[in-house]
Amino acid sequence: MEFVSPEGLRLDGRRPMEMRQIRAEIGAVSRADGSAVFEMGNTKVIAAVYGPREVQNRSQQINDQALVRCEYSMANFSTGDRMRKPKGDRRSTEISLVIRQTMEACILTHLMPRSQIDIFVQVLQADGGTRSACINAATLALADAGIPMCDLVTSCSAGYLNSTALLDLNYVEDSAGGPDVTVGILPKSEKVTLLQMDAKLPMDTFENVMQLAIEGCKAVATYIREVLLENTKQLEYRRGV
Amino acid sequence: MGSTNTSGDLSSEMEVDAFRRLFPLHFHERHLLESIRTDARPLGKARDTSLALGAVASANGSALAKIGCTTMLAAIKMEVMTPTTESPDEGCIVIDFHMPPICSPIVRPGRPAEAAPVVSKQLSDTILSSGMIDLKELSLVSGKAAWMAYLDIYCLDADGALFDAALLSAVAAFSHLEIPVVSLNDDGRVVVVSDEDGGKLDKEAVNKEKRKLKLSSVSFSLTCILHKNYILADPTAEEESIMETLMTVDCVALTRQRVKELQKILNEAISDMEVD
Repeated sequence: MEFVSPEGLRLDGRRPMEMRQIRAEIGAVSRADGSAVFEMGNTKVIAAVYGPREVQNRSQQINDQALVRCEYSMANFSTGDRMRKPKGDRRSTEISLVIRQTMEACILTHLMPRSQIDIFVQVLQADGGTRSACINAATLALADAGIPMCDLVTSCSAGYLNSTALLDLNYVEDSAGGPDVTVGILPKSEKVTLLQMDAKLPMDTFENVMQLAIEGCKAVATYIREVLLENTKQLEYRRGV
Repeated sequence: MGSTNTSGDLSSEMEVDAFRRLFPLHFHERHLLESIRTDARPLGKARDTSLALGAVASANGSALAKIGCTTMLAAIKMEVMTPTTESPDEGCIVIDFHMPPICSPIVRPGRPAEAAPVVSKQLSDTILSSGMIDLKELSLVSGKAAWMAYLDIYCLDADGALFDAALLSAVAAFSHLEIPVVSLNDDGRVVVVSDEDGGKLDKEAVNKEKRKLKLSSVSFSLTCILHKNYILADPTAEEESIMETLMTVDCVALTRQRVKELQKILNEAISDMEVD
């Protein structure tokens, strides 16, 4: 099947190095300490952060840092066919672990000992790149909750089909069986916190694809910073500053 | 009484937020004495309600309902199944209500909320017993194929009056539902016809065009709280947690007014969709 036409257009009309349209909104869930909705094309994800609060399971309490917990679940109607088991299956558990480890790397946990930070992510619509959308949404939600972090974490995916490196795969391109590289970075310090890949790639091609994904992450980071600045301006305005 | 005096004395020294957290019942009662509630609503008034149809593009019918801050997302997905032998002309509706951990600080992963199965059962009973949907409309080929409609409702923000918002979003999702076109395969199995193959239809379609369900006797609800001798309509989560008695659809006069409001909002939402 052809994923890149001879004119250089993908199935949804994008160029190979073009990301899908991103949209973010802060403060969607009023009951949460911090929350955000993040959309990448048709993938829609909502993240809520509760914390820092008292540890619910005393035996898990850590005396010198905060405990970070994460849960990823997909809505029954998020994928094409209705899902039978939205959480507790292996994929959801794996993604929960991945998001937790990625966020733990940037939260300054030593500032909040003996407390717990819960990150809950719910996928409302899945069209490829849910992992990345979840990490971006979690970053915004943590910032909305005022939890101290050393840097933002942004994530993007890239693949390699028809001998072209493609940025931000959607579901059809993802299920084509080609390589799929997901990268999560700390944009200011230029450090990589998440790197996952399916299938195989020769080393030099891999470097190109990873570089493309990092460019995508930086673009997301610019957008997230704009959204946060706008949000802060609104808060200042409401306080009468 | 001793405790009222203590809180009365402290109220002049303390900040409003602190007083609200430490003595919530007194805080609310001070407002009720003036016939007003903490968010400046009169006693019988419900919060701002809004509806958006077609929130989930991948589902056959969907709606997002917001009552104040309480947010519910309902989506319907249709699948073909074989009907039972007792009712070969009827389809089936399965209703599921979920409260994911994002909606409220009291819901923890691994420990589902107490309210979830209760609201789920109430919703199921209300929708199926009210006769809003005629199951015969969901039939395709008598005895062989019928529609199974899976209605999933997700609570995205739990701020009181969960049942009202859930019922509203379910009704709206059903009114937005479009039954997809299907045709009979060579093996006699029913296959959903996608829009792209619409041109080359050699198999005859069982139902010619996407149609909407006919809804009769649509039901709406209103949750009220009784405290001492005050009746409060549409409580928030804070009010629900401190006052004991909770009733749904009890005060007939308030409900009638609310039904008119909700019917108007639903009709507006549907006419907005049809213009597009």
